[in-house]
Amino acid sequence: MSKRPDLFTSYQKEISIFPNNTQKFWFVTLLLSSIYICFIASDYWIILITNALLVSIAAWGLNIVSGLAGQINLAHGVFVGIGTYTSAVLGGVATRSVIGFEMDLLIWLPLSGIVAALIGVLISPIAVRLKGLNLGLVTLAFVFIGSHFFSNLTFITGGSGLGRKSAKLNILGIDFNSGYEIGNFLIQKNQILYLISLLVTVLLGLGVKNLVRSKTGRAFAAIRDRDIAAEALGINLFKYKATALAISCFYGGVAGALLTTTFGGVEPGTFNLLYSILFIAIVIIGGAGTVLGPLFGAFFYVLFPAIIQYVVLSSNLSEQDLLITPQQIERIIFGLFIILFLIFEPRGLWGIWFRLRNYFKAWPFSY
Amino acid sequence: MNIFLQATFEGLSLGAVYSLVAIGFVLIFRATDVLSFAQPAMVVVGAGIISYFSTQIGIPFLFAFFLGIILTGVLGLILERTFLRPMVGEPVFSVAVLTIGIDILLRVVLDNWIGINPKYMGDPFPSYGNFGSVNIAGLTVKYLEVTALITALMLIFVLSVFFKKSKYGVAMRATSLDQEAALAQGINVGRVFGLVWFIAGLLAAFAGFFITGGFNTLTNTSFISALRALPAVVIGGLDSITGAVVGSLIIGLTQAYVGYYQFDIESAYNIKLGNGFSIVAPYVIMFVILIVKPDGLFGTEEVERV
Repeated sequence: MSKRPDLFTSYQKEISIFPNNTQKFWFVTLLLSSIYICFIASDYWIILITNALLVSIAAWGLNIVSGLAGQINLAHGVFVGIGTYTSAVLGGVATRSVIGFEMDLLIWLPLSGIVAALIGVLISPIAVRLKGLNLGLVTLAFVFIGSHFFSNLTFITGGSGLGRKSAKLNILGIDFNSGYEIGNFLIQKNQILYLISLLVTVLLGLGVKNLVRSKTGRAFAAIRDRDIAAEALGINLFKYKATALAISCFYGGVAGALLTTTFGGVEPGTFNLLYSILFIAIVIIGGAGTVLGPLFGAFFYVLFPAIIQYVVLSSNLSEQDLLITPQQIERIIFGLFIILFLIFEPRGLWGIWFRLRNYFKAWPFSY
Repeated sequence: MNIFLQATFEGLSLGAVYSLVAIGFVLIFRATDVLSFAQPAMVVVGAGIISYFSTQIGIPFLFAFFLGIILTGVLGLILERTFLRPMVGEPVFSVAVLTIGIDILLRVVLDNWIGINPKYMGDPFPSYGNFGSVNIAGLTVKYLEVTALITALMLIFVLSVFFKKSKYGVAMRATSLDQEAALAQGINVGRVFGLVWFIAGLLAAFAGFFITGGFNTLTNTSFISALRALPAVVIGGLDSITGAVVGSLIIGLTQAYVGYYQFDIESAYNIKLGNGFSIVAPYVIMFVILIVKPDGLFGTEEVERV
């Protein structure tokens, strides 16, 4: 049997999360090596990878509502923002201008996801009524209304231009903000954040994989492919569209809560239209509707600018010599990649990976 | 009363300018089924080209103005031919996201050129009268706003004649009804697509000038004003030109009234709407209208077959 990985003798086996040993092997290898990276890589890379992991959580969220359930959401960044500010209020320190309760990570992390999901459920009656482009446009309105709230609720966000400190890193009553000593070994704050992010990413990633194979996931796919047909098949459109939005917002909220903790502070202007579009770009570049796609997209999005920075720094050019700044190069390449991927590879990086994998599966035979 | 009239006038003028952008949206959507998020970027690019020719190259403003308008139209043509033609027949969402990509590209280039200092259009309007405005019966009327209103009305009139009478106007209407049937009747649909984007580009550049002209100047945030044509289109209905005009007027008037009356409302009802509410107000209205009428005020209801 082991020689025939595509042979399934039962449905249970076919829909299992890791259908064959190869996948189990790679999953464990990747997991162990990512834990190992934490202890050998420099701070710069640890922060980058943490970032990529968290961005991929948020991208998974968008992928659930847009890629799986087919509902356009241009306002994902706002839900990420809601998660961020929930965590900042619950886990942050109160100052003269902002409120904060200095709670434990185990409280604020789930809660920031739940609050974002609740707000998602709250607006879902509006989102469920519409579909297609009109839905996209309403979510565009959310972006502007959301930014308005973020910049005006100064007791929560600190106000535009000023911002506030993000949540503190206390777990089970232990303060990890300036590292933690285990015997002689000092473990840095970044490393702890990395490990937490890795854990959350693995859990939520398996969650997506699990969702896809469940009844709910199949209902999402049916709604995406043809909503009226899905309704005729007995799928409750309202319920499943709202569920998709809620799960999506939960992912966004959790990602937002941890994302800003890595930066230490957050300014309300962050959550603008471009920030929401970013997640769409990541999902498109990675591959919409797939489980691994957003992960690829997020790593691409985070690591690519780092490579550009590296090239610019090592090429002996000062910033004045360049016509455009590295950030602008990033954005140009990003815009270009959205266009090129949509035209030439609609399945995104995942599609490229899929073809590569299949090529080497049958190598040296072409099929 | 004066404040009311003042707000109404400014709102109408704003609305007229938005309607130019909005008509571009509707034209593109009807003919090609594409919701172009790149339209606001075209607006600012148009303004940028005009400003470049009139202030940096130094050719007379009128020439720069028309050159800018034509070039923006050509830009629309090029964008359609290179990026959107390969996407014909793809899902609407993919194409809409693609135009977001175009929007990012155009705006990065433009933002880089604008830099930190706001760019002037080099237009003569600020030099007329009292800093470009005249006092009529207690109202401060800006020449730029009057010109915007008149130009927009004229353009809308010319367009409606073009659609009704000219050969290409009829071809465009046929294409927007049914692309394949139009093709079967011998209409060059590809050329119609190009023409639509060209006209949308022209309108965008007109609007771009009126949004950034005079003392308004072109800055990195100018495109936010252009983006407000989007709620206007949605309010009117994505596929109705009348709707686009009405929606734009609603948006323009809302923005002006909120701008003038926000303080009064806040103190009368003791609520706080927050800074910059006039920017968000159009979106709130769009929100409300979409809940009541998902296809907009004038849009045709979508009939779907399974």
